[in-house]
Parts: sequence; structure tokens; C-alpha cells
Amino acid sequence: MPAIQTTDLTKRYGDVAANDGVTFSVESGEVFGYLGPNGAGKTTTIRMLLGLIRPTSGTAEVLGADVHDRRALTAVKSEIGYLPDTLGFDDHLTGRQVLDYFARMRGDERRGELLELFTPPLDQPVGTYSAGNRRMLGIVQAFMHDPAFVIMDEPTSGLDPLKQDRLRLFLESERDAGKTIFFSSHVLSEVQQVCDRVGIIRDGELVALEDIDELLARSGKEVRVQLAEPVDEEDFLTDDMIDVELFDDAVHFTYTGDAQSLLEHLVRFETSDVDIGNPQLETIFKHYYTGESGDEPRGRDPANEPRRGEPADEPRGGDSANASREGRFRGERP
Amino acid sequence: MTAILLNESKGYQRSSLVLTGVFAMLAAVFLAVFPAMKDEADAIEAAYPDYMLELMGLEELSTIEGFAGGYVYPFVWILFAGMYFGYAGAGTVADDVRTRKMDLTLSYPVSRESVIVQKVAALWVPMAALNVGMLAVMAGGARLVGESFDPVALAMVHLLGVPYLLVCAGIGVVLSVGTDRPGRARTGALGLVFLLWLLDGLAALEPDYEWIAELTPSHYYDPTAILLHEEYAFLDAAVSLGAFLVLLVVATTVFVRRDI
Repeated sequence: MPAIQTTDLTKRYGDVAANDGVTFSVESGEVFGYLGPNGAGKTTTIRMLLGLIRPTSGTAEVLGADVHDRRALTAVKSEIGYLPDTLGFDDHLTGRQVLDYFARMRGDERRGELLELFTPPLDQPVGTYSAGNRRMLGIVQAFMHDPAFVIMDEPTSGLDPLKQDRLRLFLESERDAGKTIFFSSHVLSEVQQVCDRVGIIRDGELVALEDIDELLARSGKEVRVQLAEPVDEEDFLTDDMIDVELFDDAVHFTYTGDAQSLLEHLVRFETSDVDIGNPQLETIFKHYYTGESGDEPRGRDPANEPRRGEPADEPRGGDSANASREGRFRGERP
Repeated sequence: MTAILLNESKGYQRSSLVLTGVFAMLAAVFLAVFPAMKDEADAIEAAYPDYMLELMGLEELSTIEGFAGGYVYPFVWILFAGMYFGYAGAGTVADDVRTRKMDLTLSYPVSRESVIVQKVAALWVPMAALNVGMLAVMAGGARLVGESFDPVALAMVHLLGVPYLLVCAGIGVVLSVGTDRPGRARTGALGLVFLLWLLDGLAALEPDYEWIAELTPSHYYDPTAILLHEEYAFLDAAVSLGAFLVLLVVATTVFVRRDI
């Protein structure tokens, strides 16, 4: 039984589709990244999964409970942990009192162990907490009843780098212990560190669903080369370089070929510095799902609207190889 | 599952204590005026036109029962306490939705029906505190000014006042689930309870508009009748209790269907 199975999940607010036909599944024991820029509809999906808002159409099952079946959904929530993006605690209560309160609702067998990793000042009122302390209290709250499945919405926001690392290690150990984690974020690098598979949502639509390694392989590498002396443009550039920015003695580009050929190419030039890294989410979006007739990215452009719901779109999000097969990824070579 | 009830009850402790103090002082001020007023009661009754006496439920002002039923309870209890419970009811859901506390609450294995019932049930704290405080001040204060109440009648004023205050809270709860804006729900509840109190007084003056008075909560709670005539209108209290339950069902029905 998948931990989550959504089918054409749609939420409309008037003319705006916050989620538009979102279909995906998250298997038990998987760490699933739900990636998208702010405002893409990630939180909307999560709030439908938890039954906080009702889908306009489509449906979803969480741990086998249909989100339309309130009773069943309430029952499975004892197996779920939730770390919301905005943590609404009783600000006048101390951290300890907040945890006591949640413990009465769902148990807290792992509280002590979690508080060794995440250390909010328990005797202070939550209202005085920093963003990081608030987040840590939220993490303890989400995991302390030892749930089988945890939904995390922007879990690292407010955490300092040390605590972000700690969270990453903790999530890895949870995954190894067989827990299912739904990790929603707008930061590619943190998703790639912890997730096995990723769904990318943009303007309410799921535009990709695939293994994180495949995504990164197909997204290319962001390369910055500092040259010792200016080079001939014709000589330096290859077909595998896209988004090229040329400066006097520097070149920035996204490389879509394999690493070996890039290195072989670069050694031919006298370089003073080379930086090769994974692209930012925004860069990936820039290349993802360009229009079929040209290179315009799919966005809110009404001209793109009629494609929605057409037969060709039916497997949207349901087939991880879809994007590559259709060759809509601009950087991909035929 | 009573975690929410426990948590919410604790949340009301401080405000209930403060409010009980305020109400006790208010009642004490009223009582302190009574000895002076007693001597002038006939003049006051003569000075007010009949409709004013009826509007305010003034009767036998020279007795402590008439004074409490005509002055103290209509203002301190029916109006101010009623408005407070409307206000408190209006904060039950809208506040939590606004601060996103409701998101966390509902991510726990608890139904929306249970959430709303527990939150309303937590109003037992201000209800008990205000009733006990007010009862003590009225009984003790009366003695200080050399008067005394029939203890049964005084207890009944408070007991039969509970359904009335619950209706006021119910009005607030309905407004609370109907909007995402706590401020609007609270202002609406304060205004509505006040308006209904006013309507009851005004409509009662004109036989043609008596039916309007019957739609107001305060119509079913008459401290003067209880204190002065020892008329305990259990049926009226039952009507109020029924109205409260209807409001609660309406609020729950709206709450379980709405997006948070």
C-alpha cells in the first residue's frame, strides 16, 4: 500500500488552480521530495492530504484512507507526523508544555531521544523562540510519537546549517529504519541530499516525477570557468553548453553532456579556477518543460492552457520517463 | 480524548480570574449605591416614564431583590457577561485558524466535531469562575449593606442564567466558524449580543413586536422574576439550552465542511 496516492488532485480558488490534476504516489519506506518554488502549490497539496482543505476534484489516499472519508483520515493520523511551514503553537506556553499537550493527543515515546538532537529551550515560552527553535520544537512534535509517515513542509526553514545537517542525518536514519517521509521544499540542494525520488510542482501542475539522480543527471551541471587568458569563443563553446554567459576571462554555462567530456574539454585551456556544481532549482525550471512549439517555458501563459486535460497530458506526473521521452527538456540531445 | 479541553481550560484560567475581579468590582459598586438609592427608589420610579421602567425591568427598587433584578443583573450579567461569552465564543475557532494552530491540531487524530465541542466545553472555566465570584459578591455585599437575599432565589438567578450565557457563546461560535478573521467574529459577537439585548427591551414595549422579543436570548431569562417573585422559568431555560445546542450543531456543521 502506498503511503500517498493522489489521483488528479485539483484545488481551484476561482479561476486560479492552486493544484491542477496532480497525480503521484509515494511508496512506503521512501523519502519523497516535493519540490517547487514558493507559491507553486506544495502546501495546498499537503493541506488536502491532511483533510484541512477539500479537493475541488480528484482524490487522494493517505495510508489507505481517502481524504474524502473524514473518519478514516482522522483514524490514520495517529500514524502520521506533520511539520507545517507555519508553526501555530500556543505562544504563552513553554516548549515543554506544548510538547506535553501534543503528547496527550498522540504519545511521545521518542521525545527524550529527539530532544538530544534538537534542542529548543523547553522552559521558555514559545512566543520568545527564534525561528530555529520554533522549527526544532516542530520537528520534535512531528516525530515524538514515532509515526510511520511524516509530512514535512519546508522543514529546514529557520534552522542554522549545523541543525540542517543534523536534520539530514536524522532523516537518513529514519529512512533506514523504514519510515516514509514526504519532504516539501523549494531548495533543490536539500531535497537532493535526503530524497530518493522527487516530484516537481510548478504553477499547480506536477511537471516531473523521477529519481533525484536522474533529475540531476539530466539537469546538467552549472559550470563557472575562470580563464587565465581570453579564449576564442568558437573554440571554447560546444553544443553541450547552454545558457552561456561570456565575460572577458570567464565563462558561465550549464553543461548537459557527461562529466568526462567536460573535463577533457577544459584541460585544453589554461584555467585559473573551475567550479562545477548542481544547478539551482530555478535554473532547472528554466529548462524544464519548454513549450512544444518553441523554447518558451510553460507558465501561466493562457496560450498553454488548452493543453491541460488533453489526452497527451493524461499520464502527467504519473510516468517518470515521460519528460525525457518527449524530449521537452531543452538541454537534452536527441 | 480531552487534551484540547484541558489545554483550553488552562488557557481561560488567567482571563477568568481577571474578569471575575472586574465583575465583582462592578457588582460591588452597584451594591454600594443601594442604601442611598433605596431611600430615593420611589422618586426614581416616579421620575422614569412607565416604558423606561418596563424597558429596564425595574420593579420594587427599594428592595434588594428588585434592585439586583432591575439594575445589577440586567447590566452586569445579561449585558456584560453575555457580551463576554459572545466574545469568547467568537475566538474559539477563528483565532486558531488564523494562527494556523488549527492545522497542527487537525493533523492529530481528532475529529473537527471533537475539536469544537472541547473548545466550547472549556468555557466552563469562565462560566464557573464568574458565577461563583458574582454569587459570592452579591451574597456578601448584600450583608454588608444590611440586606440579604433568599439563597435559593440567588442561586437560581445564576443557575438559570447559564443557558442564557451559553446562547451568547453559541452566537460567538457560529460567527467564529463563519469567518477567518477573529477580529470580525469578535466584534460581530459583541455587537450582536448587545443588539439582541436592546431589541428585547424595545420590542417588549410594543405588543405588535412581541414576537421579535421572543427571538432574543434575554427574553428567556428574567432575574427580576426569579429574585422578586421566585418564579423559576425552567421551560425558558430549556428553550435557551435548546437554542445553544442548535447553534452548536450549526457551527459544527459549518466547521466540518469548510476549508481551514
